[in-house]
Amino acid sequence: MNRRHVYILMAVFCFVILLVLAWNAPDLPSTIDRSQRSLKPWEHWPLGTDMNGRPLIEYATQGARVIAVPSFVAGALVALFGMIGGLIRCVQAPKLQAVLQFGGEIIGALPRMVVVLVVALLLPMDWRTLMPLAVVWAVLCAPGAIDEAGAVAARLGGTRFVEALKAHGFGAWRIYIHHIVVLNLRPVLVRQGAEAMMTVAFLEVALSYLAVVEDQSSFTHSDNLRSWADLLKEGYLWLALGIDSAHVLFVGLGLLGLVVMTATALTKAAEAR
Amino acid sequence: MKFWWIQPLARATVAFALPLLVPALITAMIWALPGNPAEIICPPSICTGGEELAARWNLDKGPFEFYTHWVSSAVQLDFGDSWRVLTGKPVIELMLLTIPNTLLLIGLALIPITLGSTLGAFQQPSKRWDPLLVFLNVLPVVVLALLAAAVVEINFAGAEDEGLGYWMRMIAAALTLGIADGALSGAILGNRSMFEQENQQRYVGISVLRGEGNFANTLPNLAGALVGQYRSRIVHLLSGAVIVEVIVRVDGFGALLWRGTLMQDFGVVLAAATVFATLSSGLLLFQAIVEVAQNLHQRRAPKIDLDEVQV
Repeated sequence: MNRRHVYILMAVFCFVILLVLAWNAPDLPSTIDRSQRSLKPWEHWPLGTDMNGRPLIEYATQGARVIAVPSFVAGALVALFGMIGGLIRCVQAPKLQAVLQFGGEIIGALPRMVVVLVVALLLPMDWRTLMPLAVVWAVLCAPGAIDEAGAVAARLGGTRFVEALKAHGFGAWRIYIHHIVVLNLRPVLVRQGAEAMMTVAFLEVALSYLAVVEDQSSFTHSDNLRSWADLLKEGYLWLALGIDSAHVLFVGLGLLGLVVMTATALTKAAEAR
Repeated sequence: MKFWWIQPLARATVAFALPLLVPALITAMIWALPGNPAEIICPPSICTGGEELAARWNLDKGPFEFYTHWVSSAVQLDFGDSWRVLTGKPVIELMLLTIPNTLLLIGLALIPITLGSTLGAFQQPSKRWDPLLVFLNVLPVVVLALLAAAVVEINFAGAEDEGLGYWMRMIAAALTLGIADGALSGAILGNRSMFEQENQQRYVGISVLRGEGNFANTLPNLAGALVGQYRSRIVHLLSGAVIVEVIVRVDGFGALLWRGTLMQDFGVVLAAATVFATLSSGLLLFQAIVEVAQNLHQRRAPKIDLDEVQV
């Protein structure tokens, strides 16, 4: 088993943990039980409890349910956009490339958080989930992915590379998908997708945290769900006020670390040999 | 190379279009929402006089009238009134209170980024430090902002608007913004790899043989790319400022935008989004100008006729 296999296993393992957490999320949080407050993981398996006696595993699972699918969709979309951008560089379509460049300039010039907030504001209450924001985020990340994949395709030779392979008798599928996408664009596409996946998870936590500190409903999930931001908020009390909630902060950071590990392992697994 | 002007022209066109496009899109979306826009300010179930309010906020004559009136007023720095954050208060007053703090924050945040970029340009730090830079690259802004907020609250709670407390808050927020989400490591690694690649070009080798330095030769050729990187970093900082200002409690423009979003204040959000887009447009236009200057410089400098050269 070489290093690439280790990274693949690591990425799959982390992502499966995320999915298992999401799958096991309860629909509603437990009721408050102050007699069980602030228990450590060894006192209340597996992650301990918060200041209201609620098990932290519920926060972990519900937060995973909020982010798992949207972040994966955002990552896949960014990789898809990048793939399209790379392939367009390999076909003779100057007008399409010009349109892409104009579109990319416009989207790339917009501060992402501002766009996300405007979209969040305009979303009807029933649509308030992370998915639409994740899709918007993916669109905002697309110009970067398209540029980078396009640059890789251009270094490869662009249309000349395709012509050369055609001269060797390869079919279109073999040329575009196997040689260009799988063998050459793969590292860029996977890295861009993994980064988008990670940043969507961070975006959810940030937006939920901002809403939680203002005692407002989050733009990313319904009120019956808890985000990982709730863990950070309670953990912050330990940092700022010395309240006994350090374990809550470490659980929150650990969950963010799980997302980072997934993205990093994916990127490493797809690196060029 | 013949059509070098296309890219700067595209950037300049986008730069001029963006401040008009953003309010147009938001206006279109306000009207696309279910119900009457006036009902957003004054839901019929809890308030009366919606028609008067609609007339006052120019919402009664349709989206085109609203847009043209808003844009023509905005050109004269009249961004209308706040709908909900501070109902009836001119948005320009809110902006004048908050924008200086955000500009100062971005300016301070650019210090570590500029230092990092400069280090990167001189191939520093060595690749031994890459694991640390990779770690910094994945630090989310929300986590670092929490740390900064805790440090400031522990040491300077209560001293928010002036003196040492204010400055420590700004510095903590700026450091957060300048380091988190890969801002610092991106500046170092991005510049390092860009200059590393450029240093491998044949003209650099020739200039070294002539006794000249690398940097003086590569810099003019990389000016456009460097400005592009810097622009995207500033846009990134503007984005992150929303999170950092709320968590570290800096009374800035990003925090105003967040309050406007939470309270569904379209007046504030429309103005804030347009101002953010205008700032970004200014940077885009600057990049286009630098690219034009760079290309003119490159075409002026050669001592040989490029058309004669057989590649």
